[in-house]
Order: sequence, then C-alpha cells, then structure tokens
Amino acid sequence: MKILESAPYRYDKGIKILTLGNITKAYDRLTQQVKKGDNILDVGCGTGMLTLHALIKGANVTGIDINTEMLEIARIRIENSDFKENVNLLEMGVAELDNFDENEFDVIMSGLCFSELSNDELNYTLKFSKKILKQNSLLIIADEVKSNLFVFRFLNFLIRIPLVIVTYILTQTTTKAVKGLEEKVTRAGFKIESIRKNKMRNFIELVARNIKEN
Amino acid sequence: MRITYFFYYVFINVVETLIRLFPVPAKTGYRKIGSPNENSPVLLTCNFHLTIHRLKRAIRGIDCHLLIANSKGINVWCAAAGGLLNNHSVISVIKTSGIEEKANHRTIVLPQLAASGIEAKEIQKKTGWKVIWGPIYAKDIPSFLEKNFTKSEAMRQVKFPIIERIEMATMWWFFLAVIQFIFWIPFIIWKPFLLEEALSMCVQIFWISAISFILFPLFEPLLKANYKADGKFNFKRLIVIFIMIFIAAIGVVIYTFVIKDYDKWILIRWSIISFIMVIIINMDLTGTTPVLKSDLHEERLYHVAIDKEKCRGTGICVEVCPRNCLEMDTKTNKVSDPRARDCVQCGACIVQCPFDALFFRNNQDEIISPENVRKYKLNLMGKRDCCLACKISNTLSK
Ligand SMILES: C[S@@+](CC[C@H](N)C(=O)[O-])C[C@H]1O[C@@H](n2cnc3c(N)ncnc32)[C@H](O)[C@@H]1O
Ligand code: SF4
Ligand code: SF4
Repeated sequence: MKILESAPYRYDKGIKILTLGNITKAYDRLTQQVKKGDNILDVGCGTGMLTLHALIKGANVTGIDINTEMLEIARIRIENSDFKENVNLLEMGVAELDNFDENEFDVIMSGLCFSELSNDELNYTLKFSKKILKQNSLLIIADEVKSNLFVFRFLNFLIRIPLVIVTYILTQTTTKAVKGLEEKVTRAGFKIESIRKNKMRNFIELVARNIKEN
Repeated sequence: MRITYFFYYVFINVVETLIRLFPVPAKTGYRKIGSPNENSPVLLTCNFHLTIHRLKRAIRGIDCHLLIANSKGINVWCAAAGGLLNNHSVISVIKTSGIEEKANHRTIVLPQLAASGIEAKEIQKKTGWKVIWGPIYAKDIPSFLEKNFTKSEAMRQVKFPIIERIEMATMWWFFLAVIQFIFWIPFIIWKPFLLEEALSMCVQIFWISAISFILFPLFEPLLKANYKADGKFNFKRLIVIFIMIFIAAIGVVIYTFVIKDYDKWILIRWSIISFIMVIIINMDLTGTTPVLKSDLHEERLYHVAIDKEKCRGTGICVEVCPRNCLEMDTKTNKVSDPRARDCVQCGACIVQCPFDALFFRNNQDEIISPENVRKYKLNLMGKRDCCLACKISNTLSK
C-alpha cells in the first residue's frame, strides 16, 4: 500500500478505511494461531499493526522493516503500550533474514509486505523463512494477490484503475499484487494449511506449515 | 533487430524526456551484458527505465554483470538524495539476485552520484562487497574499467552540457504546456478558434524554457549565491528574470505580428501567461540544474564544515564530491574546502566520511550531525528538494 506509506502518519487510518476494516479482522483471524510466549518474526512490520495483534496474544515479536519513518511510528506506538519489553524492532530488509539463527522462530508472519517485494526478494524470503522457522511451525501471510482466473483479474483491474492512478500521482509508484503466491510457498517447501480469499479474490490470508525433511 | 532497437531507443528517449518529472520503473535484479564470466566486473544502477537503456548503450561491447537496484523508478541522483536508492536497495539486489554465484570477486561499482544515499561502509559490513565509486556519466564507464577502476578528475564532476539543458527545457516545456493547455480547454469548447492561440502559446512556452536553459551558462554567475550567505535575497537573480521577461516579450511581439491582430486582450493574456511561465521556470532554476543548489529552502544556509581534528586524510570525500569542492592538503594530510562556493549540498562527503569529520553547519552554529544526514537523508537537496517530482509528491502527501 504505497499510497499510505508515503505519509506514514496516515497509514493506519488509511489502510483501515481502504479495506473497510477488513484488515483488522484478517489480522485477528491470522493471529488466532499465536500462543503465549511464541517467538515471532514480523516481516515488513511497518507501523506495527500486525505486530500489535501478536503482542496482545502474549508473544515476543521481532519486527523488521526498511522504512525508517514507518518504524519510528511503530516504536512510538509500542512505547505507549504495555508490551515494550516483548518487542524488538530492527531496521533491516528481507535480504538480511540470513542473520537470524536456524530454527529461531515459532511463527513468521507478514502483512501486506510480500506485494512490495521483487520476485527475487520474495523467493529469498521464503527460502530463509524456511531455515529460521522451527520445524512444524507456521508461516502466516496476508496480502494482495492476483487471481488465477482471468475474469477476476480483469474485474480487479477495472476496479483498481482509479486507485492506481491516484497512487501514481501521489507517489509515482504502482502497487503490484503477488502472482502465484500459493505455488511459490509450496515450492519453497511449506505445506499450505488454510487459504481464505475475499469475494473479489484479490486478498489472501494464507497459513502454511514448515515441514522439514529428514 | 538492431534497427528496431534503434527506433525503440529513440522513442523511449523522447517520451521519457517529456515525462521526466515522473518516474518510470523497470524490473529490478540481474542483467547480463555481453558474455561475462566470474571475473567480469559487477556494476550497479537504479531502476529508472531510461537510465538502464542509456547505460546499456554506453557499455555495449563490454562483458559485465549489471545489477538493477530498486530506486522506485527514479534516476540515481534524485533517488539517492531522496532516500529511495539506499543501503537496503543495494543489499537486497546483491543478496537476492544470485550475483554471488556468478562472480568470484566481491567488488561492485556504484555510480558516484549514489554516494548521497548509500553508505559504502555499511554495504561492506552487511554483504562483504567492496564498493567502488564509478564515474558519474555512463559514457565514461568503458575507460574507467579499462584503466583498472581509476577515474580522472573530470569523470568525478557533474556538468550541465547543452544536450542536458535541452532535455531539461523539454521536460519543463511539456509539463507547463500541457497544464496551460488544460486551462484553455473550456475556452476552446466555447470558442473553437482559440485552439490556434492555445497551440501558439505552447510554442511560446518552448521558446521561454529553451532560452532559459540555453543561456544558463550566462546566468550561472548571477544565480550563484554566496555560499555563506546570510539569507538575504540575491538581487542578481532579478537580472535573470528581467532578461527572461524581455525574451518572453519578443515572443509576444512576434505572435501579434504573425497573426496581424492587435487586439489588446490578446496582448494582455499573452503577457500574463508568458510572465507566469517565466516566474515558474525561474522560481527554482538553480534547483533544476545539477550544478547549483536550490535556493528555495531555509537549509540552503547550511554549509559543509570540517572537523580537522577528526579528519585522517583518507580522501574519500574528495573522491565522491560531484562538484570538486574539496581538496587534500598533502602537507598536513587534512582535507580543506577551497571551492566550497560550488557545493550543492548533496551530502555525499558527509555520508561517506569514515571518521565523521564532516557535517552541516549554518551561521548560527546550528549543526546537522553525520548520523542524522545518513539516517534521514538530510542532505539538503534531499527529501524536500531533490526534483520537482519529489516536490509535487511531497506537497500532495502533506
Ligand atoms: C503495507 S506495509 C505493511 C505494514 C504492516 N505489516 C501492517 O500491516 O500494518 C509494508 C511494509 O513492508 C516494508 N517493506 C518493503 N520492502 C521490504 C523489504 N525488502 N524488507 C523489509 N520490509 C520491506 C515497507 O517498508 C512497509 O513498511
Ligand atoms: S573522508 Fe573524512 S577523514 Fe577522509 S579526508 Fe575526508 S574528511 Fe578527512
Ligand atoms: S562538498 Fe558539497 S557538493 Fe561536495 S560532496 Fe560535499 S555536500 Fe556534495
């Protein structure tokens, strides 16, 4: 959601309005799997919306993001909450996931960040997520996706035109929904446990398990 | 193939010059140039579509690996100064593009103008790759590679040659002509014969912007404010504006002669529109050029200060300065700034100094520390003023 990130202070309100509050519901559903004391990595934590959902469940969260200003907001928000002991916010990109130890995390989650990665970055993220995630643990993703069905792609295209134009004028970038996320996740060695898509088939909530060989 | 590519190349050059105010992103990642092997040099550039094509053209015939880093479709300097082409973009493309398997050395050539936004030290620490600052212009890359990564002094400096000035003029012309044309549309619908006048106005705008930039070398000394200025208005700028109003007036006179209609209303509206155009182009003429700093913002009053105690004479700052402001004193082995007047506040020297010996300071002795320059890209051409596109998006997103 580039349009909102260019003004980090608007991000939270903006994203809720744009998704008609659905983003909060999606994050609620996804973090149901989180248990107290879980060690969680939040990839592209931004202003910390998803991070906070996991914190409420009693987890310890490491949030990483490359955007200094978004992180600054996350920091302020968490300073003002009861969880500041349980969070570690780091300015780093997905390309540095290899810095974490093998089997370090109980859950890796990511909200609306995969759609901002290049294909190379996405595959890299999945590859190293598999390494640093414990065996049989969960990878949780919520993001914008491209449907496999032409009809839906076309419909979404029409609906998105105004949004794309406004985004371009404001930030001169375009948002790009992820293509073939399910295949990529499977190919990286995860077993998909559940998928939930909205009616327009442009938003996915995906839960996959890290099955390790041997 | 050759010939179709040639036409494609000309086409994208024209189109992307016209819409230069807006970014055109290309795919990031690895590109093979020629048939490189594991010893071939590794170059990196931004993902502005036109830059990539121009670079490829400049280095055709050379075998090398090219990495395209994410700069959100903006050119190297604007993106680096504005914080879009940053450490993360570089680390990401190095680690995810597969270059580490393709090359057996760990040296990467970055465009020198990226030095405002990318920290060589950080890249080395996080990836193990050594950064070498390449030439500013792609055309110098072949000779740079041939001479074993050495740059002549000329290769380190930004210039504003006629061809680039015409590009700038074209960019301004297209932007302003389109906008003024939009204002005409309701009137044209009302009285269709006005179409002719609206189109003539587009020609007039071209005349104004072309002359502004063609005559730039004459204006340069007038526009160059004293670098330790106290913030007083530079009255010499008015001379430039008067000359340009005179040039615009010539256009108005020619138009009235051509149409042979001496209606006072035509004269009035032509004068008003022309005047507005002159003012818009001159408002930040200096900031539109690569060789003078913008004089719109308060921070122009900061200048680069040197802490001689901390300086250990590495010469890195001299190496990355695109305006050749700095010089090593071989006797004391310290840096000095004999040509500080030429500084464009790009911050490259401050960002790269390994001993934090450089920083921004103004006349009230307020300073901007190197950490803050790095973290928030507080080079003073950055965020606020790197280019009009950034400016527009900044104002809109406030
Ligand atoms: C739309 S925000 C999502 C924020 C947060 N997850 C939420 O839902 O509130 C996406 C975030 O991904 C971050 N991001 C983009 N590319 C990244 C990368 N390569 N590594 C880490 N974070 C990245 C951006 O900086 C941005 O803050
Ligand atoms: S980079 Fe820093 S230490 Fe090196 S010469 Fe310049 S000021 Fe001195
Ligand atoms: S001296 Fe000025 S122009 Fe040169 S690198 Fe430093 S800030 Fe940039």
